[in-house]
Formats: sequence, structure tokens, C-alpha cells
Amino acid sequence: MAPIIPTVRPLSCWKSILRQARLQKTATRSLTTYYKPKPIDATPTVKRKIKVIESPPSFRAVWKEPIKEVTKTQIALLDPTGARTNLFSKSNPEAAHVGDILLVRLKTGDPFAGVCINIRRRGVDSGILLRNELTRVGVEMWFKIYSPNVEGIEVVQRREKRARRARLTYLRKPKHDMGSVQNIVLAYQRSRGALRGNVGAKDELKGGKRKVKGKGKR
Amino acid sequence: MIQLKSMLNCIDNSGAAIVECAKVMKMKRAAKIGDRIIVVVQKQRNFGPESGPGASVSTSAANKVRRGDIRHAVVVRTKKKLQRPDGSVVKFDDNACVLINKAGEPIGTRLNGVVGTELRKMKWSKILSLAPMHL
Repeated sequence: MAPIIPTVRPLSCWKSILRQARLQKTATRSLTTYYKPKPIDATPTVKRKIKVIESPPSFRAVWKEPIKEVTKTQIALLDPTGARTNLFSKSNPEAAHVGDILLVRLKTGDPFAGVCINIRRRGVDSGILLRNELTRVGVEMWFKIYSPNVEGIEVVQRREKRARRARLTYLRKPKHDMGSVQNIVLAYQRSRGALRGNVGAKDELKGGKRKVKGKGKR
Repeated sequence: MIQLKSMLNCIDNSGAAIVECAKVMKMKRAAKIGDRIIVVVQKQRNFGPESGPGASVSTSAANKVRRGDIRHAVVVRTKKKLQRPDGSVVKFDDNACVLINKAGEPIGTRLNGVVGTELRKMKWSKILSLAPMHL
């Protein structure tokens, strides 16, 4: 490069130096830009075909509502006659409603009767809440209507007027409590037994049965 | 859910009417049906018509426990819903217990009131046999 000309004024010396440096810089830059890379498709190497696996067919198309299907199959399995579904279906005018006195016969243990204060409709998990009074203590029980443990559900007495609530939780209050429905149920069972020819007398309600047994012992 | 300070009805004829839970045994959570608890007798039962003002001495003699006694007890009914393995749920309107001695035998000789069937699972068959009804 050209020797630096000594000058009187230091500032001007700086000026020349900077100018030279800038020139040098542009020169290098131009050199780098001159480089021409090889075109990408210049030498095609071995062409490999990538295997693409097709995505499986979507289940959404073939099976629109799987939960509904499962529910249907389960209900068909647990309630083949459809009687239980019919007893609590909303379209059936003869269906059991909230406020009715229902009797649940169980495969294991004694039957339980009570006022239905809630029907929880959830497909196979549907349940009913029955309330009764046993030995002057209020008892509430939930039963799954499709449970294999439940042998049968009978309507003992219907509410004379349709309840205007979906859940009769006010029946727990002392003012509205129906108390024991045992007498009504026993009368119903006796009448059923008479109709059937003393078949129903076998499956008597819990309270009566136990009491008789206790008396026999003492 | 029986825990410290819970008030329970005592449904046997040991002489206690209302007891207060002082400890749930062998657990760090609330007691349910069939669990053993320690109770303090808060209210004595005076038996029916014969217990007039003059008969107080005789009733206290008949009572096996006194007010302030610390006893063991078994929970037989709870207000809290209790789910069974088959999906059914049972709920009573009150909390009740039966007093027992330390060996696990009931102090009273008779029970009045329904008890939960869970007692069978917990090996309280003596209480179950005393009860007029179980559910």
C-alpha cells in the first residue's frame, strides 16, 4: 500500500488512513462476492425414493359417535328386553317418574323400597335415588338401573300429581318428609301376592322379615 | 365423615345418648361406617316413663356408662354418602355409633335402629346380629 504521508495536522492523517482502510474493505468485499457457487442440481447423486406410508383411514369418518355406540351395546347387553330402558324413558307415558314409590329387588340381599327423589340419566350409568325411613331413621340409596345386581324395579305407587321439579330434594326437609312408605309397599306386595297366587309373599320386605325372625329367636 | 368433635347418636342401651368423637383410631382421615373411634359421653339416656325425678338413682345404676366417660365405639351410620363396590350408594339421615369395650364387644345388649352392612366387611358381626335391621 502507499506509504502514509506525514502531515502537519493529525486529523488529516487520520482521514487518509480511514479512506485507505475503506478502500481495502471494499476490495475484499468485491472479491468475496465474485465467488460463484456450484449449481445445486449440477451433479445429481444417487436418487433415493423415500417410502411414504399412507395414514390409516380416520375413525371419525367410519365411527361418528363412539361413546354412543358403546353405551348402546352395553345397554343391549345388560338390559336385553329393554324393559328397564322403557321404565325410565322420557317418551314412555307409563314410565316411572320422580315422586313415585319404587321397589328395587336385588339379587343379593333384601329388596329396598322408597320414594324416588332423583333420576340421573347417564346412559348405562343411569341411577335412581330412593328415600325411605327405616326404624325411624331416614335412609337414602342410589341404585344403578342397569346394574346386574338389580333384579327388577317395580312401581308401587304413582304420585297423584306430576312433580314440578326434576329432583325432589325438599323431601328431606321435615316439613315435606313422607316418612316411612313401608306400609304402602307391604300392602302392594300383599296384593301382588294375592294376584299371583302367593308367589310374591316369598320376597317380603326387609323390615317385616327380620322382625319375624327376631321374635322367633326370643 | 366422623372426626374430632363430631357429635353422634348412640343407639345401644349402654346408657349414652349423645357422644362426641375424640379420636379416629388407626387412621388419619375421617371415620366412616365400621371404623373404630374413641368417644366422650356427653348426654346420658334416661329410660322412658319410669325415669321420673325419683327414679334418677335407679337409672344411673342401670346405665353402664356415665356422662364424661371415655369409651371406644364403632360408627354404624353416617350422613356422608358411602359407595358400595356394586355402584349403589347409601346415606343415612344421622350419624350413629355403638359403644364397645377395648376387646371389641358391644357394651349394650340391644340396638335400636338400622345399621350399615359395611360392618360385616369390617368383622363387626356381633353388632350386626344385635341390630334389628341392616342395610
